[in-house]
Amino acid sequence: MINHLQLDDNRRKAITQCSRCGFCRAVCPIFDLTKRPITNARGKMILLKEVMDGKLPVTEAVAQALLRCTTCMNCTTNCPSGADPQEVIKAMRKELVGIGYDNLFRAMGEIVEKYGNIYGEQERQDWGHRKGKAPYVLFLGCVGTYREQESVAETIRLLDLLKVDFTMIEEVCCSGVLEDVGYQVKKGLAQHNIQEFQKTGAKTLITTCPYCYRVFKEHPAYRDLGLEVKHITQFLKDFDFEVKTEKRVTYHDPCDLGRHAGIYDEPRAIIRKIAPNFVEPRRTRENAMCCGAGGGFRGAFPKDSVKIARNRLSQIIEETGAEVLLTECPSCLHNFRNARRRQNIEIYNITEFLARLYEEGLANKKEAA
Amino acid sequence: MLKRLIEIVGKENFTDQLEELVPYSYDASINVHRPDAAVWPESTEQVSEIVKFANEHKTPLIPRGAGTSLSGGAVPIQGGIIIDLSKMNRILEISIENRYAKVQAGVVCDDLNRALAKSGFIFPPDPASSSVSTIGGNVATNAGGIKGAKYGTTRDYVLGLQVVLPTGEIMQTGAYTMKCVSGYDLSKLFVGSEGTLGVITEVTLKINPIPRHAMTAVATFARLEDAGKAISQTMMSGVLPSVMEILDKVTLKSIKENTDIDLPDAEAMILTETDGYTWQEVEAQMEVVLNIFNQNHPISIKTAKDEKDRLDLWKARKSAYATLARASHSFVLDDVTVPVSRISDLLLGIQEISRKHGMLIATYGHAGDGNLHPQILYDEYDPNQVELMEKVEEEIFDLAISLKGTLSGEHGIGLSKANYMSLEHDPVEMALMRKIKRVLDPNNIMNPGKRALDK
Repeated sequence: MINHLQLDDNRRKAITQCSRCGFCRAVCPIFDLTKRPITNARGKMILLKEVMDGKLPVTEAVAQALLRCTTCMNCTTNCPSGADPQEVIKAMRKELVGIGYDNLFRAMGEIVEKYGNIYGEQERQDWGHRKGKAPYVLFLGCVGTYREQESVAETIRLLDLLKVDFTMIEEVCCSGVLEDVGYQVKKGLAQHNIQEFQKTGAKTLITTCPYCYRVFKEHPAYRDLGLEVKHITQFLKDFDFEVKTEKRVTYHDPCDLGRHAGIYDEPRAIIRKIAPNFVEPRRTRENAMCCGAGGGFRGAFPKDSVKIARNRLSQIIEETGAEVLLTECPSCLHNFRNARRRQNIEIYNITEFLARLYEEGLANKKEAA
Repeated sequence: MLKRLIEIVGKENFTDQLEELVPYSYDASINVHRPDAAVWPESTEQVSEIVKFANEHKTPLIPRGAGTSLSGGAVPIQGGIIIDLSKMNRILEISIENRYAKVQAGVVCDDLNRALAKSGFIFPPDPASSSVSTIGGNVATNAGGIKGAKYGTTRDYVLGLQVVLPTGEIMQTGAYTMKCVSGYDLSKLFVGSEGTLGVITEVTLKINPIPRHAMTAVATFARLEDAGKAISQTMMSGVLPSVMEILDKVTLKSIKENTDIDLPDAEAMILTETDGYTWQEVEAQMEVVLNIFNQNHPISIKTAKDEKDRLDLWKARKSAYATLARASHSFVLDDVTVPVSRISDLLLGIQEISRKHGMLIATYGHAGDGNLHPQILYDEYDPNQVELMEKVEEEIFDLAISLKGTLSGEHGIGLSKANYMSLEHDPVEMALMRKIKRVLDPNNIMNPGKRALDK
């Protein structure tokens, strides 16, 4: 196997941009857990610099080290030297796969291609919602569809309650995550989704998953999509809701929605309408700590991923005293729910929580009658 | 080696895997050398066992906090075992009524301050790396920061330490009291010792109330000499500003070209703050400072009272490192320090060195305590540039010493300045330093090769 890399000037510049100050120690979710320097951005940038300079051969251990990154982008946002480690790491994962260091996501790519989802699930729940033509089309993504079905059901119920004229498709994985772990989007799957979208005649595509949102918006495979893409928080921010909660509510910014897509205000606009007792965590918005699920980390290191979610959850509870934690990302939701043990906090996607508030309202009305 | 270390710390707290050791070969300086192994002890007893083992086998032992040092202090230049204290990160006790906090060495500086802030208190020394730097590292390097002139450096806050000596014995120094002259002040011997005398495992720190109010001002000057006078006259005026930062024209130009911060063409900018318990006190002090600035021909003066305006005024100073790091991927960041009245001489001298060698040097830093940061920009992949950078650095050290200054105000000597120790210290002093090192560490296992101690 080849054990060195040929890198172009741009890539070399990106690697040497790290000045080794180590400030990324404060924001890296994996380092926070392990305290091992190889797990933070500086550690990986040093490894890559040595590889680039021919001082260190590429090894399986280098490839493994590069997989230990959630691509949460907190290091990039807080880098005093203007380095973008998560971008470098994603690019180098591809380089390494290119010279023969395949990783476990190769198998996932095959599964995605065969089954149309990352889990290899054969049965896909039909939400009982109508298909066909409508002005809006809703896309759920793999994690919601196969791992957070209850939450998805509530989100769908909310859109119905709000009388949104929307349809759904026989969706397959957007397959964007493969780009982050060394591989490529599956063009066939992208084509399938695009064709299905176009059949609906919809003008607007609404996603619940921030990652799918980014892929539809940014990836060349979806260039011919022909629909306006909105994350569901963007879509709902101007709606009026007839429900309120007196509970103390807080919000976790998903990395893909916040740092990667710049969507911070829309979820807050919705929450402020329904929750007068809204309180921000200490580390929030651009500085929000990652839940540990992203960049393939949950797939490759499930135990550490859940531990990171547990740490984030504990910190949020300690700092805010919130009774309800809201987010709007199926992966964050799933990881937090898996991480919760005895912590006394309810965890929902915003849309799911809204639907539940509506149901409570209806139930109370019935009781009163 | 492997077996015994694993016995002490457990398999999960030991590594000798090459790839894991690579990041431990560096700090934030340009020095590089591989260690042979790294351990993450979780208790003082484990540290003691590790040290005993290293001493027995005469293996170098390099204590490490966050590894943010700019001098090579944390680089294992003779190999050996890295003893990473990051997992010993518990705050052991906060006693507001007795004004102290006791922490394990791996506690992060900002984490301590967040805990103290709940009671309105603070550990004042504020190195730029405080979001990651560990208290053990702060003590071992006597870390300073922006507020040194008024609030001193780490040394002024250390009441006591727990240290594992190079023989493995555990020693407790100092007291929990504000005053203590009982015996030699061994705590202070370890402050700034850069891991050469033992492993600091616990620290008891004096803490201060957080000043309730602060006012900020920024002035720019067309002549460096005027800025220098403004600084010295302020320091003589009876007012002690909590901040007195200076940025030279190279730094200002870089900020101006690379950010949207609006700056006049100036030779120097001074950022200053006064703080105190009441507004009247803060404003009265600032009035004195502004009068002095006005007498020294400023181009502009701006003041800020509320938080938003304050952050605006801080923007240029805070972007200095960031814009310079973007301007050149290789740089050396020094910390020469001179008596306050010689600040403008130091700045002018550095500009002359820069001109002479055609090497870009941007200088900024803590004028209130005479501590400047010349950032020398070069290309590490060009051997000629590396050689020139070393020459430039040497001339800056010569200059600082000729101005009755010191090689290092807050980064430490480590490897980068070890060769220049004799510029500043006479042979008698050097001999005593080496003797102290030998008495405590007869096998020279503790961070060897640093500070010209093992010659």
